[in-house]
Amino acid sequence: MSERLSPSPGGTRPGFALNIHNLIGGLIVAVLAVLFLGFAFYEPNAVIPRFLSAALIVVGIAIAIGFLPVHAPRDLYGGLALVMLATFALIASADLPGQRGFAFGPGTAPRLFSFLLAALGAAVAVGGVFAEGPPIEKYKIRGPSLVIIAILAFAAMIRPLGLVPATFLAFMISILGSTEMRWIESLIAAAAMTLFCVLLFVYLLNLPFQLWPRF
Amino acid sequence: MTDLLSNLLMGFHVAANPYNVLFCLLGALVGTLVGVLPGIGTVATIAMLLPITFGLPPVGALIMLAGIYYGAQYGGSTTSVLVNIPGEATSVITCLDGHQMARQGRAGPALSIAAIGSFFAGCVATVLVAALGAPLTGLALLFGPAEYFSLMVLGLIFAVVLAKGSVLKAVAMVVTGLLLSMVGSDLETGAGRMTFDIAELADGIGFANVAMGVFGFAEIVRNLELPAESRDIVKAKITGLLPTRQDLIDSAGAIARGTVLGSLVGILPGGGAVIASFAAYTFEKKIAKDPSRFGRGAIQGVAAPESANNAAAQTSFIPLLTLGIPPNAVMALMVGAMTIHGIVPGPQVMTKQPELFWGMIASMWIGNLMLVVINLPLVGVWVSLLRVPYRLLYPSIIVFCCIGIYSINNSPTDVVIAAIFGVVGYWFVKHDFEPAPMLLGFVLGPLMEENLRRAMLIARGDATVFFTRPISGVLLSTAIILLIIAALPKIRRRRDEVFVE
Repeated sequence: MSERLSPSPGGTRPGFALNIHNLIGGLIVAVLAVLFLGFAFYEPNAVIPRFLSAALIVVGIAIAIGFLPVHAPRDLYGGLALVMLATFALIASADLPGQRGFAFGPGTAPRLFSFLLAALGAAVAVGGVFAEGPPIEKYKIRGPSLVIIAILAFAAMIRPLGLVPATFLAFMISILGSTEMRWIESLIAAAAMTLFCVLLFVYLLNLPFQLWPRF
Repeated sequence: MTDLLSNLLMGFHVAANPYNVLFCLLGALVGTLVGVLPGIGTVATIAMLLPITFGLPPVGALIMLAGIYYGAQYGGSTTSVLVNIPGEATSVITCLDGHQMARQGRAGPALSIAAIGSFFAGCVATVLVAALGAPLTGLALLFGPAEYFSLMVLGLIFAVVLAKGSVLKAVAMVVTGLLLSMVGSDLETGAGRMTFDIAELADGIGFANVAMGVFGFAEIVRNLELPAESRDIVKAKITGLLPTRQDLIDSAGAIARGTVLGSLVGILPGGGAVIASFAAYTFEKKIAKDPSRFGRGAIQGVAAPESANNAAAQTSFIPLLTLGIPPNAVMALMVGAMTIHGIVPGPQVMTKQPELFWGMIASMWIGNLMLVVINLPLVGVWVSLLRVPYRLLYPSIIVFCCIGIYSINNSPTDVVIAAIFGVVGYWFVKHDFEPAPMLLGFVLGPLMEENLRRAMLIARGDATVFFTRPISGVLLSTAIILLIIAALPKIRRRRDEVFVE
């Protein structure tokens, strides 16, 4: 789920055509699959995920060197990511006991859904090789990463610092993600929002929040 | 019939309790607010407000959440008419004729016809929910585990077929949701599944975290990428709010047809309000004597879709309340809300908690009345809200979400999980995956597994039971036929056209 690709042009020529986007995308797939293969060997029962990981490595390298044409990158990488998720789930649930008699074990349903997902993901990916599709939209870095950093910062700050600093700082970090940010206005808005949240959650809803850092 | 009346009477008794009226009003107001503001969807709002409702009594909480849903249908039309930006996906189609009417100085009649149509549709749908509730519940009591499993499969397939985009990808999303819902303790043995010994995952991935991440955070991140939109608010003062006699005559038929169509589509899983409004508009245009008027300010083009989306919003409660199966993402969130309050959605809600069931239905009617009363005079207030720039709005939403998620379990890990799902949701959008089917799969996953296991155990491991039991067989075959039809190239092209229009 982590390939951060810039737009790759819709169709590449068949044969060995090196393309920087597919080189990066294919390598990400291959590297993650190698990691999965490592995990799969660590788990005793994970035979099928080993094969799946190996297949993913081959596909990843084939994409990277341009052997596999990429016509609909959104579908191809999307489908491969789902296959990877299924492989990962198979490895993670390898230690769970399966069916015993008529009774399902804890591992039966997860494995069932994983196989189904792997098949569907593969079908989506195959469609990405043969059908034409639009290129992947460019991933923006600034806005999304600041929003995510703000959320993670909130998670990190809420326990040690309390509600008021965490809310205020998370607001300020996330507002940096906008290209039209103005300092004075933002500081006032952050203070107002913090006040609103304190009033709503602590006084109106009576939730047990710690407001300020404890020393 | 007397049963129905006495039940409804009890419902009104519950709904008229001052506290419940207050929750209903609050829900309707918040719903209108989100409806008006583009960039905040209904699903995201309900996900955001879930934590707040934990402290409330279950009836009040559900009344409020329901109010948000149909309130948003009202609010969305205001922005469509005045600004030509749909506040909600359900009022995209209202822009076409509604904004043209506003341009011609008839914003008032457009808004009031939308409100009147919605109110009429809401009344009819309320009666429909009440009338269909009892018989469908009776039917549901005949269902065993095999039937329930097949019904859920059918529901998921419906949701996939009626959603936009590739059917294959939507099915893949459903299965992704099912797989994610497997994380956590096993229902029967208590064994930790795919938890990696993380204590917070022992109870599974929190439903609110997934919804908030995929719908709330991902939506914000997505909006940040779009260039700042120019909001061309109709500056002229809105005069003559009331429609003329001619307007009423013109739109009466459209409202009635929109209501019927919306009620039908709303019951279908996956349909919901968006498709209802599109279908109603297309239908009106087809039967109109002069179709060329549509898109140039035809009042029917406002009346039909607005009635339809409100009717559908309410009838989509029917499968949830009677069968316990959420037909769309909003209803999936309602399942989350009910489960948190210890209510298992399904036929037993009606028998075990009649106050909740009938109170909620009655509150829908009260809520609709309130919406007509508050919405029309407050149009000016709602429009002025549009002047709040998005750059101040989104950080507020983010911190609000963060506090909300944290407050559910006082767990910072939940906030981190939501952030991860925010990234995942952003990635979904980039690769043309629809997040709504995933959420449905995620909610139905544990239920499906439970019923599958039980059915297999009862049938002594014989998987054909799903086809040999008559009701289950019919349900599953319908699902398979639907899937095949949707995959046919000809139908697929038609389907794409509908969504493009």
